[in-house]
Amino acid sequence: MTSPQDQALALVALGRTESTNTEAHHRAGAGAAHGTLLWAEAQTKGRGRHGREWISPPGNLYASFILRPACDAATATQLAFVAALGVGRFLSRYLDAAIPVHFKWPNDVLVSGRKIAGILAESTMGKTQNLEWVVLGVGINIETHPEGVEWPATSLRAQGGNPPEIAELVEVFGQSFLFCYNEWQEKGFSPIRKAWLERAAGLDEPVRVRLGEESFEGTFVGLDEDGALLVLKDGDKDPSRVTSGDVFPMKVLAGL
Amino acid sequence: MRRNKHGINPEIVRELVALMDEHGLSELEYGTSDWHARVARGNAGKAAKGDAQSAAEPTSSQSPAPPGAVTSPIVGVAFLSPEPGAPNFVNVGDTVKEGETLLLIEAMKTFNQIRAPKAGKVAQILITNGQAVEYGEVLVVLE
Repeated sequence: MTSPQDQALALVALGRTESTNTEAHHRAGAGAAHGTLLWAEAQTKGRGRHGREWISPPGNLYASFILRPACDAATATQLAFVAALGVGRFLSRYLDAAIPVHFKWPNDVLVSGRKIAGILAESTMGKTQNLEWVVLGVGINIETHPEGVEWPATSLRAQGGNPPEIAELVEVFGQSFLFCYNEWQEKGFSPIRKAWLERAAGLDEPVRVRLGEESFEGTFVGLDEDGALLVLKDGDKDPSRVTSGDVFPMKVLAGL
Repeated sequence: MRRNKHGINPEIVRELVALMDEHGLSELEYGTSDWHARVARGNAGKAAKGDAQSAAEPTSSQSPAPPGAVTSPIVGVAFLSPEPGAPNFVNVGDTVKEGETLLLIEAMKTFNQIRAPKAGKVAQILITNGQAVEYGEVLVVLE
């Protein structure tokens, strides 16, 4: 059950900041409420996974949610999919219906096959290794996108989208995400998983999985009940479960 | 997760046996939300795996965790530094404050910050950077 308090969105505008995720951890540690959404017009030290830089000029959307779900750390990893869905539904509002929105495991959002958003989920454990809070950061390319990145990027503007001003966008994004979050709280992972799979990039197609120095190829055959990627290697009878690493749907990439 | 043709991850079994040796246990049961394994000496020994089975209930006689042990709350991959090439969050011999980040465990692209449950000195770091860890595995021992 979700209480009315859980559904409230508390939007905080930071102007220019180092990193909305870093600021969100500070505030969560100081007791900031579930549903707090920190928004920056630009980030000076925007970051992605493994400390990679997320270039953050004005014009794009940078925001981090503070979430306090009553679940364990393993269950909270499902938020990667919840966030991808929230971003995907948000973007669809401003795009022509003919422009496809897809998801690349677990939380990349692709528009016309190109990456339009990045999501950085960071959970913090308490004294008994209980889940204390989750910071869910998103960077969405609204006006501009970087060139020369591993997976080609795009922006809402480049895809012919006609977004309103950024302050309104942030609010709509916040509501769109919370709608998905509340659906997850009420109904569990199953409908989230199903909706994600309906828009999965490269389902039943060849995929390459890279884990550190190693990589392997197979066919992307689905998601298991926990959200692990299922990849069937040539000659194997059962698919392998992937819970970590970078995933490249090869046909989608070749078509860009 | 690496599994052999029988669907068994031999690394986990080896780890369990090593823990039994280390702590003089005759039986060890261990698992996550979707599987568990029980390793025992003598004729009672078997390893089980199944979706319907929940994690083993921890009991003091079976617990492999020494005092001051910080265990993993999740199955994932451990990272000892915030980014490749950066210094580790902590090293053996460091004094840490309560709440200080010790390491990260990544699963499904979610980075779980594992923090010191109390102030103390880092006595042992039992995992290496990039290592796959299991639920309940001892990561760091504080004293």
